[in-house]
Amino acid sequence: MSISKLTSPDDLLRLKEQLVKERDNGRTILSVCGGTGCLACGCKGVVSALKAALKESRLEEEVELKITGCPGFCERGPLVVVYPEGIFYQKVKPADAKLIVDQTIKGGHVVNKLIYKDPLTKQGIIHEKDIPFYRKQMRLLLGMNNFLDPTSIHDFIVLGGYRSMAKALSAMTAEAIVEEIKKSGLRGRGGGGFLTGKKWASCRKSKGDPKYVICNADEGDPGAFMDRALLEGNPHLVIEGMVIGAYAIGCEEGFVYVRNEYPLAVKNLMIAIDQARDYGLLGKNILGTGFDFDLQVSRGGGAFVCGESTALMASLEGKIGEPRAKYIHTVDAGLWEKPSTLNNVETWANVPLIIDKGANWYSQIGTAGSKGTKIFALTGKVNNTGLVEVPMGITLREILYDIGGGVPGKKAFKAVQTGGPSGGTLIVETSEPDIHESLVAHGDVREDEEALNLLDLPVDFDELTKAGSMMGSGGMIVMDQDSCMVDVARYFINFLQEESCGKCIPCREGLRTMLQILNRICEGKGEMKDIDTLEEMSQVMIDTSLCQLGGSAPNPVLSTLRYFRQEYLAHIVDKRCPAGTCKELVSHTIDETCTGCHVCLEPCPTDAITGKLKELHVIDQSKCIQCGACYQVCRFDSIQRVKRGAGEAVQVKAKALWKPPQKKTAQQTAAVA
Amino acid sequence: MPKINIVIDGHSLQAEEGTYILQAAKEVGIEIPTLCYYPHMVPYAACRICAVEARNERGWTKVVTACNYPVWEGLHVHTNTPRVLNARRMNLELLLSQSKPVPVLQKLADDLGITEPRWGYGTDTCIKCGLCVRICDEVVGAHALAFGNRGVDREITTPFHLESEDCILCGACARYCPTGHIKMTDIEGRILHSELLLGPNAAITIPFRQAVPNVPRIHTNQCIHMKTGGCMLCAKVCPKECIHFDDQDEFEEFDVGAVIVATGFQDFDPTPMLQFGYGKYPNVISAIEFEQMNSAGSPTGGKIVMENGKEPRSIAILHCIGSRDQNYHKYCSRVCCMYALKFAHLVTEKTSAEIYQLYIDMRSFGKGYEEFYQRILDEGVHVIRGKGAEVVPTKHKRADEGDLLVRCEDTLISKFREIPVDMVILCTALEARKDASDIARKLNISMGADGWFIEAHPKLAPVSTTTDGVFLAGVCQGAKDIPDTVAQAGAAAAQAMKLMSKGEIMMDAAYAVIREEFCSGCKICNDLCPYTAISYDELKKISTVNSALCKACGTCVAACPSGAIVARHFTDEQIYAQIEGILA
Repeated sequence: MSISKLTSPDDLLRLKEQLVKERDNGRTILSVCGGTGCLACGCKGVVSALKAALKESRLEEEVELKITGCPGFCERGPLVVVYPEGIFYQKVKPADAKLIVDQTIKGGHVVNKLIYKDPLTKQGIIHEKDIPFYRKQMRLLLGMNNFLDPTSIHDFIVLGGYRSMAKALSAMTAEAIVEEIKKSGLRGRGGGGFLTGKKWASCRKSKGDPKYVICNADEGDPGAFMDRALLEGNPHLVIEGMVIGAYAIGCEEGFVYVRNEYPLAVKNLMIAIDQARDYGLLGKNILGTGFDFDLQVSRGGGAFVCGESTALMASLEGKIGEPRAKYIHTVDAGLWEKPSTLNNVETWANVPLIIDKGANWYSQIGTAGSKGTKIFALTGKVNNTGLVEVPMGITLREILYDIGGGVPGKKAFKAVQTGGPSGGTLIVETSEPDIHESLVAHGDVREDEEALNLLDLPVDFDELTKAGSMMGSGGMIVMDQDSCMVDVARYFINFLQEESCGKCIPCREGLRTMLQILNRICEGKGEMKDIDTLEEMSQVMIDTSLCQLGGSAPNPVLSTLRYFRQEYLAHIVDKRCPAGTCKELVSHTIDETCTGCHVCLEPCPTDAITGKLKELHVIDQSKCIQCGACYQVCRFDSIQRVKRGAGEAVQVKAKALWKPPQKKTAQQTAAVA
Repeated sequence: MPKINIVIDGHSLQAEEGTYILQAAKEVGIEIPTLCYYPHMVPYAACRICAVEARNERGWTKVVTACNYPVWEGLHVHTNTPRVLNARRMNLELLLSQSKPVPVLQKLADDLGITEPRWGYGTDTCIKCGLCVRICDEVVGAHALAFGNRGVDREITTPFHLESEDCILCGACARYCPTGHIKMTDIEGRILHSELLLGPNAAITIPFRQAVPNVPRIHTNQCIHMKTGGCMLCAKVCPKECIHFDDQDEFEEFDVGAVIVATGFQDFDPTPMLQFGYGKYPNVISAIEFEQMNSAGSPTGGKIVMENGKEPRSIAILHCIGSRDQNYHKYCSRVCCMYALKFAHLVTEKTSAEIYQLYIDMRSFGKGYEEFYQRILDEGVHVIRGKGAEVVPTKHKRADEGDLLVRCEDTLISKFREIPVDMVILCTALEARKDASDIARKLNISMGADGWFIEAHPKLAPVSTTTDGVFLAGVCQGAKDIPDTVAQAGAAAAQAMKLMSKGEIMMDAAYAVIREEFCSGCKICNDLCPYTAISYDELKKISTVNSALCKACGTCVAACPSGAIVARHFTDEQIYAQIEGILA
């Protein structure tokens, strides 16, 4: 089809109507997720298998196979959804393709083995809209991903894409757009939570020329991938947001700084930009409104610190990606010392929605201080990991239980870490007396309160900050009883010291020293004064670090010290790791419940476990390196993590108490199965 | 610039808009410690040592870095609250955990009261302040240095850890490194005596202490600005804005009534006298080089050392190198004997070296000179009558006595001698400047065979020349020492003053004139005139005589083929009349 440039907003409308008419034929659509998560699970094979199956059944014409962006349910990939019914298949393998084509498309039946089963109720759920993971979400941004092929601008236009841009450019003044964004209460989704409208207004007012808009797609938090999902799955939405922003601020050039580790995002974005240019939606005289704007893609080398706005701009300029002081704001002197507005992918993606449906509609979603929805990357010890888009103010309970489906196994929730590596770790609920005591001492819990319950904490910018963590870019890591909080703090500090740019002393040397102290504590060599030192050092880092990487870096330590001081004390005073993960402080040992099943023998890297089949196994403490591999595989909870040195005693006791296994009980059979 | 009212540690002051706290504090005499700050670069704010607490009226407070925090109306700054001092202390302790207690850090630690850093001392001397990188980048513009790696592995390095081709060897990084981590290594491994005037790589120096005018000079081949277009630091720091890089040499014309020629001399280059090994052996140096080394402003700081940096054990001073020499200059340079004796005196003062003076005749003719000679003899200097014949490397068996062997004939004891020494100073001749003949031609003064200008009369007009209004002063007229030069210069100045104070000159009545109607413009007279008084008038196509220059010698009168030139008061008619008068 030859492409003619759209030269007026009416052209766009006509194109949309024409496309809708063409497609309004009740065709079945097979939508396969082509996001990075599903790609890793092998969705490419599924696609080619589906293609072959359709060809075989001569259904190529009737059924449309669409490779879409990520809808967020990565735990269950590869995902296939059959529209218009919305039948949801999960963990689809290439071998299942024929089944889907034969049974569902030809026969109209559901393939039972592929449908989703709720981990809590064990019930099968057929339709996508009924799945609790999706049902509780409010998928304003991610919701579109299922329905469009990111490489097709037509898909986007059919869904109403570029409508907001046309409206903004033709029917609104720049001031009106800024006002609208201000009124909507949209806050930056990159971590800072600065009011987007306010930022735009100051950049608009700033005197320099030219001005730039920048999209920060340098998502560096480990485990967070919402920006990737948006750029991969719906790049046009981000482009549309940026054009509106550029028009409102008054600039003609924009940049997308995306990390090169996101090849698919880069590819889809490039395709989308080219398409938008071809259709006259980018470039000179957009939609005949006389507004010029073009976008360039700049690929970053993957340094975490380049997500910091000034470091990102330095990197864009071709310099070393290190931050500078922001005493003069980037809206006044940013990229090449020119006024620049930098927003996160998710922020840009929200803009078209606000323009389309109005600030009033948008500001109804969320809490007083935080409006709209937020995408979280839910990971860790939770059944349904993936991307979840929820309205601001939803409680942690809803995210963790209703959407996340609870903790796998019989483990207990312990903590949630939000805000990426420099976020904080929050205790979720506890009534344990010693923890309670320390929380009372810190003022987090009143003395008459029985337990701290953050499960009902409404998740928004202000509440998370108040609780000692932050929204960040939206990472959410769930931890269960097996996570040692000192170790968690150590992990994040280690990440940060590797990713610090090293420019200023408090960040470079502070993190180095902090890591040394945490290492010492985890090795059982900590001293009581270490806690004071950590707190003092944290304050200096917060006060004097050059950028927010250093300024927020002590958060993992401070928040764990706030909620889990007892664990630090256990490490320092008792030389004991309550969660049993600090290798230097634990002994792995086998108690008398061992059935002698041999399962633990194979993963042991040092062959420390010995024992005959159906006899008590024993761990040779001199060989054991405390890797925990046996602990992970034991199905009878027979591996015990005890205080260093106590392993021998447990085994002596186990030998005395051990009885050969009787006939398998029903429970054991189930467990083995 | 609008003024802004701020308060620093209780001092109210007005600062210009756009200044940073650090500068404002300096103006009221409040010192804020810094490590990575340098006034002529964009503040980097990496060390965080200059942390101060900023507040406003409403109780907002924040720790900021003074070096790059711009002042605003109503800002209150506190430079030594416990919070600030604690932050500085902690950051310095953290830095010290990686660094050696180099003086700059030790001083800071003392100031902040750190006696024992909590995490001990490190081993590094680089504190990653980035001054070197930034000076190379922002000021020099060579971009030869950069930060490598990230976070705790951050380091300062050249691209790919290789010797950088972009480095222009300006030495700025080493100069500004606060800890001495960066050092300049002389690639040749030795100091070249001929460059002793300069700092190792300084591009802007005062040529020598007594230079007139006593102003710095930019060496264009070393100046960073000339190489990269960057830097211009000297222009930035000069309070009088005297430095202009785009200045060019200019030719200016003056109308003057008198000219004093004081063009001086040049030093004889002893390189062709292969027997002395000048230029071959590094420790054979000329007198002027010794003088430069001996100056307190020299790179050796006035120490007398050999090229390997060690003090010499013995020095031979060879007189009459190029003077009183049939092969070079027959004349006596007159100054060498006395300065050679002065050298001997200086060396005995500064070192314990043995000194040998090798002379032909000791010419200590001036006032007090002979007494000085006696003093030197009393100081134990070996004075040998006999010109140094050659300088050779010492043979194996005497190598420990000195690297060089000076051969000579001691004519007082009629013995051939070989003296092992560590250093040889050649007392080179004063000789006429190479371009003296250009001056002579321009000013129409005469020059002897040895190149010295000739005075009008050796006894009666010792400063005048054959051209009126041109006078001689100093060595350009012949080798002489400073007192003689000063005396002659005074005389020349007096002569010039005499002319100037009159304001007019009395001319001889006799001079040549060209009768325009007879002149054919053949120009024969132009070249013949020994006083360059005749020039050709392109407009009239005839020659004309400058009556002020004409000495009425009559050469042109006799030579003019048209008989167009007549000497006033010496016309043919007058001559004939005189003859007739005598004969009558």
